[in-house]
Amino acid sequence: MRLLIVEDEKKVAEFIALGLRSERFAVDVEHDGTTGCHLALNRPYDLLILDLLLPGCGGIEILKRVRENKLEVPVLILTASSGTEEKVRNFEAGADDYLTKPFAFAELLVRVKALLRRGTKNAQNVLRVADLELDRLTQNVRRDGRKIELTSKEYSLLEFLMTNPARVYSRTMIVEHVWDESFEGLTNIVDVYVRHLRRKIDDSFDPKLIKTVRGVGYCIESP
Amino acid sequence: MINRRSIRFQMVGWHGCLMSVVFLVFGCFMYVSLKHYLEENLKQKLEDRAEQISSQFLFDPEALDPAWLSRQINARFSPENNGRFVRVTLNETNILFRSSNPRDGSLDASQIPRVTGEKKKGFRNERAVVLAGLPVESPQGRFFVEVGASRAPIAEVLNQAVIAIMIAAPASILVAMIAGYFLVSRALKPVAQVASTAEKITFHNLNETIPETQSGDELEKLTVALNRMIFRLNDSVGYTKRFIADASHELRTPLTIIQGELERLAQNQELPSHVRESIGSSLEEVERLTKIVEGLFALSRLDAGEAQSESVTFDFTKLAQTTAEQMSLLAEDKNLKLTCEGQSPMPVLGDRSRLKQVIVNLVDNAIKYTPAGGQVKIVTRVICTNACLEVIDNGIGIPSEAVPHVFERFFRVDKARSREMGGAGLGLSIVRSICNAHGAHLEVISTEGLGTKVQVILPLSFRRVEEGLLRIGKKLDPAPVDKLEKADRPAFG
Repeated sequence: MRLLIVEDEKKVAEFIALGLRSERFAVDVEHDGTTGCHLALNRPYDLLILDLLLPGCGGIEILKRVRENKLEVPVLILTASSGTEEKVRNFEAGADDYLTKPFAFAELLVRVKALLRRGTKNAQNVLRVADLELDRLTQNVRRDGRKIELTSKEYSLLEFLMTNPARVYSRTMIVEHVWDESFEGLTNIVDVYVRHLRRKIDDSFDPKLIKTVRGVGYCIESP
Repeated sequence: MINRRSIRFQMVGWHGCLMSVVFLVFGCFMYVSLKHYLEENLKQKLEDRAEQISSQFLFDPEALDPAWLSRQINARFSPENNGRFVRVTLNETNILFRSSNPRDGSLDASQIPRVTGEKKKGFRNERAVVLAGLPVESPQGRFFVEVGASRAPIAEVLNQAVIAIMIAAPASILVAMIAGYFLVSRALKPVAQVASTAEKITFHNLNETIPETQSGDELEKLTVALNRMIFRLNDSVGYTKRFIADASHELRTPLTIIQGELERLAQNQELPSHVRESIGSSLEEVERLTKIVEGLFALSRLDAGEAQSESVTFDFTKLAQTTAEQMSLLAEDKNLKLTCEGQSPMPVLGDRSRLKQVIVNLVDNAIKYTPAGGQVKIVTRVICTNACLEVIDNGIGIPSEAVPHVFERFFRVDKARSREMGGAGLGLSIVRSICNAHGAHLEVISTEGLGTKVQVILPLSFRRVEEGLLRIGKKLDPAPVDKLEKADRPAFG
């Protein structure tokens, strides 16, 4: 899988590239809009990650030219604006997804994988982490064979964490996935739900599966 | 109802006072000159009569005979019929002739004091009578002729004049005041028009101007000055908005880098745990900074009039109920009771996710500032044609001096406490901006130590309730985007 990042902020481009390379993607980085546009049009990429404000040629223009040339490559836009109109404009220009700065790398990765259809969504019906089991069809959760009763929000939270065991999800990502955008800025609700989830899943069992990565978020993994 | 301080009232009042003074002075002058004229006229006539009596009879040899004199005078002048009084005295004491009382009864001849020692020609002004006296030296002796008339006719004329003035003056002042009122109203009408145009100018149409009147007077100056003020306001509002937007953008890039770098470090298991702890702590601060930037940016977008990007009719009560359900665990976690009650459906028109943000922020605040065991209530009800949502808590309340400031950006009642709770100090500002954009009325009633009630009142919608959320990019009207581009806003990337 070959990816192109067009981002004039070298440090931002660098840490995205570094992170994506460690996920075994082939990553090209370009800081200038015009060169970036040339590359995007002439090389077969599987995904484009475009910043909006670029020297030479803006992200939206690159996107428009790519679409004018009938290239179906998925495009992820990085934007510093979370305004609804801005989002609408990006989608209208043919973007497949957008990400507002600042973002957690985990979130970028989830979106990149989703766009490449490598299935961030685990298609399995039964998710397993150690002795914890979640059945998507019956919505039953069992640990060590014992059935655990969860509320619907607790269930969606657990399901979200279990789709990618060991992946750390930020509070913002969890809020966006489990709640809706009006809870932006109210990420403490995640802490409360995780605490409740822990009480049911981890308190009377060993080892503890839900982990807090301070400053980053939560993940579920077998020790 | 008359406003005593209005220009109209004051102008008309002063006008009336001035007119009254003028009429008073004019009336007094009229009265005095009329009186003077009438008296002088009468005196002249009396004097003439005295002269006639003297020249026609007193030089006659028979003048000393009272019967002859009486006959002559009565025949010639008949003073009783003319309302006159005539007395002829010889040698100061001997009354040769005295006319009898006039028929009209205007004076009593016997009551007129006898003239003693009068030798000079002149007048005597008795209270009710005017007398002209004329000493005559004739071959027959020294006579003194007095001719008098009642003052009553003069008083009568003067009274009539006073009555006329008393009626005419207030009447004309009243008419002048009424006319003045309408004249002033007419003169002020263009000012009222300018005011109503100026009233329509808000942050969203600062590029509009008030039509300038080409009258070359104060009114033109007023409109020109107002337009210049609007222009300056537009400039500074535009500058501020651009500044916030640019600053927000400039802040996001370094935040992205810091967050990205720190996250990579935080997940590095080889680092000692205390290092990972402090990296985590830094990341928490980055998150807070991000929240502030987000909040500021949200506010600047709301200021730019972007608040109602979608406009649907939905059930406000239902929205409040689902929000309360979603947030119930937050309340439970603090051992609070969160309830939601109200009339349903209560349809309102607006941006559903933004109005949900209002409820979320208000309830979040109520939960934050209510101690364990307390209660947070969401109450919705219809008041006339308005939908009213109240978030009521029995928490720590807000000191009365702080109530007017709670919607200000970064305002904190208790700085230490609220920062500990992780607020950015922008939640209520966002609530106010959203409410303003929806034309909603927002009010806080709070008693320190007893609790707080926040009221949001917005007009009911009479359209059909549309179910479900609109999806971004699908049903959204592209019109606001066009508007945005025309407004020449800088692009954010």
